[in-house]
Amino acid sequence: MRRLLWGLWLYTFLGLLSACNPQSSTSDAVRVRWVRDPESLNPLTIPNDIANQAVGLLYQNLLTVDNQKQEYVPWLAEKLPMVQHQDSLTLLTYRLRSAATWDNGQPIVAQDVAFTLKVMNSPGLPNEEARARFSFIQDVRLDSTDARQFTLVCQGRAPEYAYVSGEYPILPEYALDPQRQLRTIPLAALTQPTPVSLSKYPVLAAFVQRYNAANLDKSPMNLPGSGPYQLTAWRNGQALTFRRKTNWWADRLPVQQPQLLARPKQIDFQIIPDNATALLALRRGDIDIYPMVPANEFNRLRKSESGRQALRFYTADSYEMVLAGFNSSRVPLDDRLTRQALSYLFNIPALIKATQNGMAYPSVGLINPQEKAVYNDSLPLLTYAPQQAEVLLRQAGWARQSTGNWTRRLAGGQTQALELSITYRAGDAAFETIALQLRNAAARLGIPIQLRPTESTLLLGKLRAGNFDIYLRTLSGNPFAYDFSPLLHSASTGISNFTRFGTPTSDRLIKAIVREEDLGRKAQLLRKFQVILRTESPLVVLFFYRYRLVANRRLTNLRVSGLRPGYEVMAIEPLPEG
Amino acid sequence: MGRFLLYRLLRTIPATWAIVSFVFLLSRALPTNDLLGQALSDDSVGNRGLTAAEREAALLRIQERLGLTGPVFYFSCTHSTTGAVWQWHGSDNQYHKWLKKAVKGDLGQSYRSGQPVTAVLGEALRFTLPLTTSAALLATVLSVVLALWLVCGGPAFLLSMLYAIDALPLFVVALGLLLLLANPDILPLFPAYGMGQQTADNAPWHVQISTYLYYSTLPLASLVLVKLPSLVVQLYDALRHELGANYATTARAKGLSAYQVATRHALRNALLPVIALLTDLLPALVAGAVVVEVIFALPGMGRLMAEAAATHDFPVLVGGVLLMAIMRLIGLVVADTLYFLTDPRIRLQA
Repeated sequence: MRRLLWGLWLYTFLGLLSACNPQSSTSDAVRVRWVRDPESLNPLTIPNDIANQAVGLLYQNLLTVDNQKQEYVPWLAEKLPMVQHQDSLTLLTYRLRSAATWDNGQPIVAQDVAFTLKVMNSPGLPNEEARARFSFIQDVRLDSTDARQFTLVCQGRAPEYAYVSGEYPILPEYALDPQRQLRTIPLAALTQPTPVSLSKYPVLAAFVQRYNAANLDKSPMNLPGSGPYQLTAWRNGQALTFRRKTNWWADRLPVQQPQLLARPKQIDFQIIPDNATALLALRRGDIDIYPMVPANEFNRLRKSESGRQALRFYTADSYEMVLAGFNSSRVPLDDRLTRQALSYLFNIPALIKATQNGMAYPSVGLINPQEKAVYNDSLPLLTYAPQQAEVLLRQAGWARQSTGNWTRRLAGGQTQALELSITYRAGDAAFETIALQLRNAAARLGIPIQLRPTESTLLLGKLRAGNFDIYLRTLSGNPFAYDFSPLLHSASTGISNFTRFGTPTSDRLIKAIVREEDLGRKAQLLRKFQVILRTESPLVVLFFYRYRLVANRRLTNLRVSGLRPGYEVMAIEPLPEG
Repeated sequence: MGRFLLYRLLRTIPATWAIVSFVFLLSRALPTNDLLGQALSDDSVGNRGLTAAEREAALLRIQERLGLTGPVFYFSCTHSTTGAVWQWHGSDNQYHKWLKKAVKGDLGQSYRSGQPVTAVLGEALRFTLPLTTSAALLATVLSVVLALWLVCGGPAFLLSMLYAIDALPLFVVALGLLLLLANPDILPLFPAYGMGQQTADNAPWHVQISTYLYYSTLPLASLVLVKLPSLVVQLYDALRHELGANYATTARAKGLSAYQVATRHALRNALLPVIALLTDLLPALVAGAVVVEVIFALPGMGRLMAEAAATHDFPVLVGGVLLMAIMRLIGLVVADTLYFLTDPRIRLQA
């Protein structure tokens, strides 16, 4: 018994002894909170936002986004591509930067881009997403006089090809194909729709085996990219450490460009799943940056004296929105007046206050109000107006019964009742609040609405099958592209157009917006589209999130923005301590 | 004894196989659309959308790469206008291929990270086992100590305190400890998260051990605190019952102290009802403690399984269920064996 007590004392003593040694941290390291592990850093798969951020430290695309100007800028490419049209083809001519080299000093050339595209289209590799996303790139033509120049041959015409065509990490040919054997296989042979058999190309089969054996999911160091950092440690589920290269090619450029800045000598991503723990870690100084802070914690910290002294607080208007969609193929939501009426039952200002502590902003539709050139500010913001909803319901043919409920007569003489359900991802507090607000507002009007929180995969299945009345979801937009066909074109019904909305007019307009290259005319079409969206009301945008970020005061130049991840880790300048 | 153990262990094999096969078949019956991942997800608006054909082709390629094409089981039943149609697929099915590999120890690869499931589970167990095992041992030893103290005249408020702790869920206890003992505003005695590997790498062994102890104090304390009340209360009640028996009175009459009667005579008998509780801790050793692992950011089995379930990483999920099923069944065998050893009357019935 006595020994046991001594053992316990020893345990506590050792623990307290260690407590005297605070967590070591190097002042040149920037420590960022990540909510989860990136799972895989394979440049072909990039399974989530976090992996995307990490891959961006190791590899470089042809183009990248300047999150301050919110525009595409050249990264590995010298400038944006030159666009030409040839029948049904779009030709995009790029030139790689003359200074760009791999870690071994070899120049990055057009053959590396061709190699990357072959890897993205090779069978037997985990490239299904990349292949589908860049399926419009059919071939690559190399310039015989300039090893750095090449032309991408793209199927069809779309203004967005000019920047989407440069959105994949360029891989080094020398690391995985030192014998340059893939050069014997033309890219066009791999991009054809019919499946390519590996047995037909023994060289390719051997390459696939080499690629898979390199275990790039967990060991991206086996394929060194042209990015400024290298992964030096990955403790699964705990932390990732990136160390800046001492001989990065962009250091030799005479003029520093914002997209080619890499200031922190070390970046540590600390994986802390729980928000309360992450907040504590930030306040203790164990981490320097906490992105996407929950609204209530952000406000609480901002108001506290200790928080203001040690930390800086940033917000940025994001392109991520919360919306409610109506199943327009299903009675009773198959008429626009009923959908409009229900839109007036969302109390958007109250919801912004309740779910985001006021840190969100409303919009008239899918276009962000920041995009002033295309945002239709002539349309009024939706207001909470139950009286207006009642008027619209009567116009739609609904009549209020003595019981308080609404019914209407169908063509066959049957009576239809206005009873609805709202489906959303289970466990999301914001969705729960929105659904409850709608249910209460509707109940006061005599419309019963059932809440149906659903597991995410089942929810996706229900949305695809049209097995719902109203849904709630989050969507992220961007300031570059306005292709609404996946969301609202009738051809996407059952795939990604969950509202099952689509009229000949709206379908034509959506296609016209995609094709239009003149910015002025595109803006006009987009304004018209927002009017149609309001009139038809297949969905209601409730609000856009305002990203929140808290950082240690010793960090400057975070380049905070509304585009994920919400800051630029490579641009951060840690101030010297003391 | 040997035959008894062998018989009990052999009995667990079909049960384990049935549980895991059920989970495997259930997982393959679910839709695989979410395998398309983020790039092709429907969560973004504005970017070029894929046609239905492109989406289908991509999904098919993923399914082919992950071995999800072809029939799931030896037979299938389809419903048509003429009624149910049964079809025999032979051994060319997903279940047969999985089982053939599983008996050789190959549980497939994680959908998310592409790593072998055995390696993923092994890595998580490396974190979970030391934590849960020490928590179970500490809880067991402390429960015996506290129960003995209570029956020998320990303070009654201790029992009330244990009842109060028992009423608290694990996340409240863990968060309470965190906000109390790792908070810069109150007592920043312990670290807020992790296992301090970053600081302990390449350090001498004694520093590594002390760092581990320092970092594991709060998670360990949370686990011990929530397990302790049920064990102590059960053992205390059993001890009180045994101390009221005639043999205990005789022992007291012979001049033994209350402590001696309790430890030398009553404890062995009082342990009988607690054995089931203790062996119940066995599957928890490998299952981890998801709440503690999330709060203290530890990459253990609990978090792994919760994330695998949320992201539909079925190979990892099935592997984890296999491990836990084995531990659960071993727990039952251990309980049987302990009863067998503790009480001769059970030996006769076995």
